Amino acid sequence: MNSSQTLQQLESARNLALGDGRYYPTIIPGVLPIIGVHANAPLEIRRWGADFLAETFASPTWSLDSKETSCLSVLPTLKDYLDTSEDTGVIKSAVQAAACIYPLVYRHTISDPSDSHNWQTMGAIKSNILRRMDTAPPGVRICCVKFVQQVVLVETPAVVDPRRPDNMDISLTLVPRDHPLISYSLMEAESSGLLDRLLDIIHGEHSDALLITATLNCLGTLLQRRPVVTNRVLQSVLAFNPLKLANSPMTPKNKVMMKSIEKTNKMLLTNYMKRHPESPHNGRIHQHLERISHMRADIFDNNRKRPAPAEPTDGLDAAKRQRLGAVPADSPAAAPPLPSGPISFAQLFTLAPPNSGSTSFDVSVMGHDMILKLLVPLLHSIDQRKLDHAVNLIRGRYQELSKRPPPTAVDAANQATGATADDDEEYEPDFDQIEDAEQIHNKLDNVPPETAPAPVPNAPLAPFKLPQAPPLTEIEIQKYGDGTVRRLFGMMAALDEAPSKATITKPGFNRLAASNYDRDSWLTIICRLATRTSFGLEDPSHGIKSEDMSVSKKGDFSIADTIREALLNYIIYDWRKRIDVATNWLCEEWYNDRIQQSAYLSSLSQSSSASPSSPLPEPVPQYQKWTLKVLDKILPFVESTDKMLIRFISEIPELDREILKRVGRVADDPDRVQLSVMICQYLLMFRPPVRGIVVDLVEGLWRDNEGAKPFVQKILVKYRPAVLQTENHVKTEGEADGGEVKPAAA
Amino acid sequence: MSMDPRLARSKPEQQAQPVPVPPPPPPVEAHPDSTKMGLDGTNDTQRPAEAVVPDGEFKLKFCTVCASNQNRSMEAHLRLASAQLPTISFGTGSLVRLPGPSMHEPNVYRFNSTTYSAIHDELRDQNRQLYTANGLLNMLSRNLNIKGYPERFQDWVPGVPRLDHAADKGAQGTEAGVVDVIITCEERCFDAVLDDLHNKGGRLNRPVHVFNVDIKDNHEEALVGGRGILDLALSLNQAAAEERKTHGEAGWETGSGAARAGFDERVPEILAAWQERWPNLPALWSLAWS
Repeated sequence: MNSSQTLQQLESARNLALGDGRYYPTIIPGVLPIIGVHANAPLEIRRWGADFLAETFASPTWSLDSKETSCLSVLPTLKDYLDTSEDTGVIKSAVQAAACIYPLVYRHTISDPSDSHNWQTMGAIKSNILRRMDTAPPGVRICCVKFVQQVVLVETPAVVDPRRPDNMDISLTLVPRDHPLISYSLMEAESSGLLDRLLDIIHGEHSDALLITATLNCLGTLLQRRPVVTNRVLQSVLAFNPLKLANSPMTPKNKVMMKSIEKTNKMLLTNYMKRHPESPHNGRIHQHLERISHMRADIFDNNRKRPAPAEPTDGLDAAKRQRLGAVPADSPAAAPPLPSGPISFAQLFTLAPPNSGSTSFDVSVMGHDMILKLLVPLLHSIDQRKLDHAVNLIRGRYQELSKRPPPTAVDAANQATGATADDDEEYEPDFDQIEDAEQIHNKLDNVPPETAPAPVPNAPLAPFKLPQAPPLTEIEIQKYGDGTVRRLFGMMAALDEAPSKATITKPGFNRLAASNYDRDSWLTIICRLATRTSFGLEDPSHGIKSEDMSVSKKGDFSIADTIREALLNYIIYDWRKRIDVATNWLCEEWYNDRIQQSAYLSSLSQSSSASPSSPLPEPVPQYQKWTLKVLDKILPFVESTDKMLIRFISEIPELDREILKRVGRVADDPDRVQLSVMICQYLLMFRPPVRGIVVDLVEGLWRDNEGAKPFVQKILVKYRPAVLQTENHVKTEGEADGGEVKPAAA
Repeated sequence: MSMDPRLARSKPEQQAQPVPVPPPPPPVEAHPDSTKMGLDGTNDTQRPAEAVVPDGEFKLKFCTVCASNQNRSMEAHLRLASAQLPTISFGTGSLVRLPGPSMHEPNVYRFNSTTYSAIHDELRDQNRQLYTANGLLNMLSRNLNIKGYPERFQDWVPGVPRLDHAADKGAQGTEAGVVDVIITCEERCFDAVLDDLHNKGGRLNRPVHVFNVDIKDNHEEALVGGRGILDLALSLNQAAAEERKTHGEAGWETGSGAARAGFDERVPEILAAWQERWPNLPALWSLAWS
């Protein structure tokens, strides 16, 4: 049987397998004896055999598992090919087949640690291939490069997602640490060394485009599938200058090789960036590519890849066509039309559209130096055609302007007087500088008389006085007065919102009443407005005012009382917080009462002694009246725990029976008896002047208020034991009568 | 396969094309067979006789690629197949785009499923005059004689047998679904091919020479480019065949000069020499892995 017949047979077997990949496992054993070296097969058969093995184990049509089983049987044949064959074609295909088979044997050895024979055969194949890597013809070396890449791929740990373990991805991760044949650390070291050899290829002295592009193109797989080597690979690739051939003579071969290496390098990096859009290396890669493209542009400056189409071609792909039918690139810009009416020079010469930024930019903000620096290059760079066009535009405008009808007399008058016409907001007064006074007079002469203003008589000028305002009605007075007062407190509302000034140290005695603009100062002002402003202004005929502020006749309205009323309301509105305001206010009232009294007395004595001047009106005391009002308003709301009241009572400057009677009334409420008693106790201890009145009050409580008795007893023991004795006397009688239990005395 | 949903709405009838029923041959008088008649009206017989690689010779396997697998790659496919070189062809675009009634209304079809014949018939029905005038119908009737439908490069799985493409022109030798040489017709396609080969990961461990020959996308340039590509392919094939011959048993000793060097290492040289012959078709090259 001659070799061509054999080849035909082999070809038909191959076609069977191509039709269905499942036949491979049965076909391989049949083919091997024919193609093997020991069969002393002719070269064509061996070439066919090597090609077939490469094709078979690369084929995606049958499963990895079946391949793993079948590959062991072809190892001797592959080894023989590599050991004995001289033919480049056979070696190339054998190395390709080995690159496909190495991962399979590797995986087989992982799962079958006892099979050292096949692993050794594979090892022999591997070392054979590695030996060839530096010396073989380039066509074989590129296949060796790919084989080395496969070895690096399987001997480098993969990053495996434990949720989706990928059994198809054969890597060092699959190797157990204690494997007898495959040492994890040795594999790791070997793959690291082999990766270095790969990367050395692109940095080698030689500029063999074949090897370099082959290496660059196989690095993509490593970048994609082995993140642990990404850093090393990228660093090496980024350090690689794809244009280093530029220094050698620019032969056509060098040119095409340089372009090709540059392109391959770029595509590898672009592919990496596309697949890893968030990679931290992307910035560097980008810069690198940018730099390379600049260098490339420098080298191939006059060598553009693809000139623009010389003529419009039929539209097969719109994106690639130069748009020749489009508007000419330097279509002259149309100038905006001039507005009607008077035109300034600025308007005449401005061709930019009215809303563009250049019209609003103030050139004068830039320094002279800057302007000078800019201006010369700008003038140089002006396009002559554009400039001519602009000049023509201005010329046209000027001619149009000169053809316009002369301005009417009214316009002239407006210009002369500086008044702007309503329809021309952009009128600029410096326009009228070109007209001299003579012309203005002439124009003014033309003004029709009816539009001129009436002549002003030659009257002497007198200071202008506002006419007397009509007198206010009482209601108006009250309304405006109220409004004024309201505004006083409106101010306070704003101040209340200010943050508390707890941290600010008080100025003490040295402070002025209203030295700073805060709530306290304002309150002081209000209090004094209420108490002192109207001193001596009140209608003397009007003795004591009615409390409900009736406005029965003029003068009944009192600004002071209105303020007081408002102040009272202000306090009551939030009395717990504003009780200090009340204290301040009442102190002011008390002080004012005293001052008024003494002033009145001194005026009385003066008038009685010598002076004919009328004495001051008798002052109306305000303190007690307003204190009672405050108390009456507050007390209904006071709770038994309100210590506030104790403080208030103790701080107001004067206490009398009337005020204390209110305190006594608090005790009418069984809940608040204790509060009332506490007030009394406090007053007894700290305000001796009122002790008498307080003890009277306490005695009253003892007599009238059954619930207060246990609390007031000890006060009475101390201050008025006589009351207790009489009471005890009565009590004892009572006990004899009915056995009423007397509360335990403290 | 991905496609633009907006296009799906605008052209529903184009998406519903049935998967390859062998197209009926077009009427002979309306669509001259472009294997015999050039698109520019010149008869092929007037050209100098093209080189044909005889069947017994060693043959590299070729793949031509353009954007839509319609004009440039198909012209080259036809040339290579006519020279009896094993050839397959692809497009790298996301969709098959053909000129429409205006710049902004291209005709868009899916790859891998819309047959040339279906496109031909649809365009003929749409506006026979227009598409005859701009050469589309001619081009499509040429294409439907070459193979069934445009194929997308990114959807190609290298190594998957192509026995179902046996009727395509140039199919002989490409049964295993692998190629030795890829020739793209535009730099964008070259980039897409390299990028896609990175994505595919080179699982076959098989070297593939990827070339780019920049050809403008019109009928005239496609004809010129097709001739250039054929020249390149024949040069490459000759070098590869020489390698087989000289590196036979004891061939290393008998060979001399350039022939002594292997095929792969001669590629840059071959390309450089080719570029000198075709200065208007700027070329690029890279050794990639399929």
